[in-house]
Amino acid sequence: MIREIHQELAALYAVGALDGAERSGFEQLCAGDPELQHLADELCETSAALALTSAQVEPPPGLKRAVLAAIEGRDQAQSRPPAGPIEFFPRILPWASAAGFAFAAMWFGSRANTFRAEAEAMRTQRDLAEVAYRMSQAQLGERTLLAEQMIAELGQRLRRTEDLSRLKITALASLLGNTLETKAIAVWDADQQEGLLSVEKLPAVAFEQDYQIWVIDPQYPIPVDGGVFKPDGEGRATLTFRGDKPIANASAFAISLEKRGGVPKAEGPLVLLGRL
Amino acid sequence: MNSARETESSARDEAAREHARLAAAMAHGDREALGQLYDLLAKPLYSLALRVTGDTSEAQDVVQDVFVQLWHKAADYDPVRGSYFSWAATLTRNRSLDRIRMRKRRSEIIQTSAADIGPAGDANLGSDDALWLREKATAVRAALRVLPPEQRQAIELAFFGGLTQQEISAHLGDPLGTVKARIRRGLLRLREALSNRL
Repeated sequence: MIREIHQELAALYAVGALDGAERSGFEQLCAGDPELQHLADELCETSAALALTSAQVEPPPGLKRAVLAAIEGRDQAQSRPPAGPIEFFPRILPWASAAGFAFAAMWFGSRANTFRAEAEAMRTQRDLAEVAYRMSQAQLGERTLLAEQMIAELGQRLRRTEDLSRLKITALASLLGNTLETKAIAVWDADQQEGLLSVEKLPAVAFEQDYQIWVIDPQYPIPVDGGVFKPDGEGRATLTFRGDKPIANASAFAISLEKRGGVPKAEGPLVLLGRL
Repeated sequence: MNSARETESSARDEAAREHARLAAAMAHGDREALGQLYDLLAKPLYSLALRVTGDTSEAQDVVQDVFVQLWHKAADYDPVRGSYFSWAATLTRNRSLDRIRMRKRRSEIIQTSAADIGPAGDANLGSDDALWLREKATAVRAALRVLPPEQRQAIELAFFGGLTQQEISAHLGDPLGTVKARIRRGLLRLREALSNRL
């Protein structure tokens, strides 16, 4: 099954809408995926057929001759036989030699100029190619950097999503008449074995009392002690807490009112309870 | 109806076989095969070059270059990857776009490509033209007509105008994702409409 994004690339490739780097990337992708290669070939066949939507015009009559002549000319140039041996004329040899030297000197001079010009042109071309290469490298570097940034950002998002997905959150409900206005939220991170409690409008307690938070895990017969806390003057408290035993499955949190410093087993009244 | 389809299919297969045979002969240096291939393909290839370049002189140069290339690269043709016509048409399109790029700046090409891409126009194919060519041209034109205009426009800007996806998006003022989706949907739909007809 070909993914939609690959179908999209194949279609863009077939109509020639990918730029150089994208095209090379797609061709590499196809090299390892025969099914995708097949789709790309089919779409190329389809797009090439668009040529036939052009108004059909007869080519000029001389074009065929020009095509055949061009091929004839190139082939002849490629297969031109080597020149034959130079005939020897002893009587005019000195003149011929002198003329030959003069001609050769002129010819070499002319060729030297031509070579110099060609070398200059090639140097210019090389310089231009070097500039183009450097620009491409810079562009590629920018794209690589951008891609790395995107990957890092996606990784962070994924991690955040994973973090959120493993958290358990509950709002604790009041169990006593004097905590009806209390708002309490508890979050439990099973991997970290740690929780976060945030409460507001929790009634103040006497000096010799503390609130104590409990984690209820069905594997233990009694709730697990999560520590004690006192709200501030406005009834607010935020604390991280851990059970004093390993928690395999936190199913609820409870807050009770206990004597100062807490107790190993809940004795006082339950104030708040929240199930996960 | 079935009989007409069968005739069409048979003409198409026969043409494909003939093109492949001529390509193989060219690979062995058969100049006569090149002449025959020219007679079969010159008209659609010249028409394509003319539509892309908009200039008869450029179109002639393109077609000449393409046939020279077809001659020298005849052995490279792989029938498994697609038809010979498709191969030759792709070469012609690319050569034509290269010509435009040589004489125009990129910004000019983008600005004027919509205007440069002429309408499909009449097929102008008569009884002198090969049956496969008439049938194929009719089928492609019919398939293209049923595409939504925005899909057709995006495909034509890429194929005839040589614009990249980003350039089409900028030219039309549409989001890149929309342009990609239009080209994908349009081309898949064309492929479906033309299945067994190319």
